[in-house]
Amino acid sequence: MSAGRASLERPVSLERTIEVVLTAGLLASAALLLAGLTLHRPALLKWGILILMSTPVARVVVVTVGLLREKDWLFAAVSLWILAVLGSSLYLASGR
Amino acid sequence: MTAVPAGLLLLTGAGTGLVGALLGIGGGVFLVPILTLVLGVPIRAAIAASLISVIATASASATVNLNRGLVNMRLGLVLEVATSVGGLAGGITAAHLTHRQLFLTFAATLAVMGVLMAARSRRRNVLPDSSAAEPGLLGGRLREGSTTYMYRVKRLPVGLLASLLAGAISGLLGLGGGIVKVPFLNTFCGIPIRVAAATSTFMIGVTAAASAFIYFSRGDVVLPMAAAVCLGALPASLLGAHLSDRVQARSLKILMAVVLLAVGARMAVAGL
Repeated sequence: MSAGRASLERPVSLERTIEVVLTAGLLASAALLLAGLTLHRPALLKWGILILMSTPVARVVVVTVGLLREKDWLFAAVSLWILAVLGSSLYLASGR
Repeated sequence: MTAVPAGLLLLTGAGTGLVGALLGIGGGVFLVPILTLVLGVPIRAAIAASLISVIATASASATVNLNRGLVNMRLGLVLEVATSVGGLAGGITAAHLTHRQLFLTFAATLAVMGVLMAARSRRRNVLPDSSAAEPGLLGGRLREGSTTYMYRVKRLPVGLLASLLAGAISGLLGLGGGIVKVPFLNTFCGIPIRVAAATSTFMIGVTAAASAFIYFSRGDVVLPMAAAVCLGALPASLLGAHLSDRVQARSLKILMAVVLLAVGARMAVAGL
């Protein structure tokens, strides 16, 4: 049980990394959306929205890698499953 | 596509983002009815814009909640497994239900949860932290002022079922599903409302993203509309997430109950 407790308190740095990834994604997409709306450039809007939609995917990738590096195999497997579901959604979307 | 003024869309996004972030939901449950019923946006475009706005609100509030240490990441990961499967299943079953059945089922679910939430608003899920107590693999701790509380996750299968259901609703109606997850986690699984809301913001971005790509590839995303809604939602949800700290847990539960009943009633009217 003590091992479980220790790892419960550890992923603080992982949480920081997630924060950075989310913030970067949001800032980049907000800038593109704002520019796209004021300059009437649909291409900028498209990229802004694509980056916004990819932010949660990037988050899952970061969590998976972080858990693998911590050798937290159980939760890394859980995270990989989620990544697989997102991947299949992307595959479905790109195949249309 | 009728042109809705961008200012109005910005305001709508800001309003739903603010309330969504306060409650730990994406706000799609308000955005879809407002866009379709008030602003006359076609339902598919409204759902697509809502999904993208849910991602914006959820991600923005997740950054605030992660920073506060309110997100229970492990619990979120475990529930995401069920949510993503639910999203898939929801997309498949959507074809077999009539519009009316969908609306009425949704209304009934919301009404039941609203009543539950109101009835349990005085009850606290947390225990004073003591070294003898163990939160378990999925439980955690929570600081409120100078006191640290502890909680354990109860009835995980119920939480998984709720996440499955939330994912299915997300797949069916284009919401993030927080409106189902937060009340369930709080009422049945013993998760403190703040942790439930914060963990929900962590999860629903993923739930919404799973279906958003499919809507995008179908061409349902009206770019300027989705962009304006998101630009309104982003700063407002940061504000909402910051404010949620100052609101008492009991007020959050009552606000949630009112929202559930109001949206449930609206859904019932739409379905009848």
